[in-house]
Amino acid sequence: MDPILKVEDLAISFGNNNVLKNVNFELYDNEILGIIGPNGAGKTVLLNILTGTLKPTSGRVTFMGKDILGVRIDERARLGFGRTFQVPRSFENMTAYENVMASAICGGQTTQREAAKRAEEILEFIGLEDKALVLAGSLKLLDKKRLEIGIALAPHPKVLMFDEVAGGLTESEISNILDIVKSLKIHGYSIIWIEHVIQTMLNGTDRVLLLADGYDIICDLPQIVLDSNEVEKVYLGVRKK
Amino acid sequence: MSIIEAKLNGIASQTGKVKIIVAAIILIIMGTLPFWGSGYMTNVFLLIFLYMSIGMMWNLLSGYAGLTSLGQQAFIGIGGYSVAVLTQVYGLSLIWGFAVGSVVGVVFALVISMPIFKMNGAYFTIGTWIIAEALYIFFVKWEFVNYGIGYPITAAYGIPMWGLYLASFIVGIGSIVIVTLLLKSRLGLTLMAMRDDSGAAEVRGVKLYRTKLICYLIAAFWVTITGCLLFLNQAYIVPSSAFTIDWTIACVFIVIIGGIGTIEGPIVGAVIYVFLRQILYGFPGISNIILGIIAIIIIIVAPKGIMGYLNNKFNLDIFSIRRRIKR
Ligand SMILES: Nc1ncnc2c1ncn2[C@@H]1O[C@H](COP(=O)(O)OP(=O)(O)OP(=O)(O)O)[C@@H](O)[C@H]1O
Ligand SMILES: [Mg+2]
Repeated sequence: MDPILKVEDLAISFGNNNVLKNVNFELYDNEILGIIGPNGAGKTVLLNILTGTLKPTSGRVTFMGKDILGVRIDERARLGFGRTFQVPRSFENMTAYENVMASAICGGQTTQREAAKRAEEILEFIGLEDKALVLAGSLKLLDKKRLEIGIALAPHPKVLMFDEVAGGLTESEISNILDIVKSLKIHGYSIIWIEHVIQTMLNGTDRVLLLADGYDIICDLPQIVLDSNEVEKVYLGVRKK
Repeated sequence: MSIIEAKLNGIASQTGKVKIIVAAIILIIMGTLPFWGSGYMTNVFLLIFLYMSIGMMWNLLSGYAGLTSLGQQAFIGIGGYSVAVLTQVYGLSLIWGFAVGSVVGVVFALVISMPIFKMNGAYFTIGTWIIAEALYIFFVKWEFVNYGIGYPITAAYGIPMWGLYLASFIVGIGSIVIVTLLLKSRLGLTLMAMRDDSGAAEVRGVKLYRTKLICYLIAAFWVTITGCLLFLNQAYIVPSSAFTIDWTIACVFIVIIGGIGTIEGPIVGAVIYVFLRQILYGFPGISNIILGIIAIIIIIVAPKGIMGYLNNKFNLDIFSIRRRIKR
């Protein structure tokens, strides 16, 4: 089966800072691919390249058989890329309901009526229905993270990309997010899920990729990656230079 | 639950009715002002409606589309000159001034959008200002518009005061209607998203360029029409009054003190601005300084402007822009 998303020889530098040197991976249909890596490994940079806000120095990104590096940011959203932001970027002076509606309208090109229906479904799904009419700016962190997922989900994207949706949350809040991600898999979504550490995603992902030093160091089943020497080296500081 | 909901819905539809009644009363009082108010009051409110219109459009650009222009005077001047040239030079009726003016204004906007939409942030702002300034210099040297001498607009004398007032009233209220309908439409959610975070909006699929251009053209059209009326009211036009940046500075003041990114802001701002200008009329040298000080004080006390502050504090939604959940 062809992957839905394929990343080849991806590299990006900012001046002398070679953040990504050569990154390769594939995302398959209805797969949840976890990506872990230490602070500054370039996980967010990778998402920014995929969604078009950063241009790579070299490499290829193929989405459903099509090279998309030349495609505009907004077109990629309409092609089927949905993402969350590590630091939530919901529209603060709009209600949670309007946030989801706006995303459905822009990314999904729906009518207002369809968007309203979609927003109600989604808010219920992410457990935010009782805060639907609260301004996004006054939501607390867990709710903001949930809303990020809701916004990303609104246009029925083909690929969902989560950037540390569990970051900064408590244990029970994380399990709440985990439930959401798991049921998204049941709904058929393909997901790239970034977290700082692997433990969070151990039983929520199909495969996990370790990103460090600019390379895709290892990509395998979550338990195998957890037990690997590579993870040991990267996270316990015995990093080879 | 259902009882509470029913009650809430009842309250909502009641406030809806109250709103309609209040709006109708205000519109009737304002619409008939020349027939019962003094000439002075009529003139003051005529100005309020015209400034409301240009403020509302500046707010659409800067407050929603992220297009902070310092060149709106270009469109006011184009409107004013269209009326002057077509009525004075060609002896055509006023309606031609409005028709030709609005077409020229929109076409001009479309042409300059190509270069200036490539610029971002402060460059866009400076770009719009330079273009308006260039237009001023061009008009001073242009024989067709009688150089820097300009024209009297004698057609203005043929219009009764109430006629000019009513036209201004329609343009002012029309600006509110345009922006309200825009924000209630499908595009409205896009505009609000852009207002809050244009970068994130683009990632959500907003066509930034297209949306901005739509707003820019709407504003160009309406500001040009308003410019026609502003100069009919003055009955004389010269390049230095047509293309002065003072017009845009007034917009900035109105929108900032009223509340940027709100519909109510420019309305409140225009009322305050015009009344202040009347009071400050006796101090021509320092009036701008006083306006500046007032703006600074309001920004410090209420950074989102008067209506931004009140809307947040009392959770107001006067123009019912908020999307409600229908059950
Ligand atoms: N737009 C940019 N311009 C210059 N440097 C950047 C830019 N974006 C990211 N970087 C740099 O790229 C490196 C990787 O950043 P990135 O945010 O992708 O890390 P991350 O893996 O997401 O880390 P974290 O776990 O802290 O979120 C950092 O050194 C950062 O300073
Ligand atoms: Mg990151």
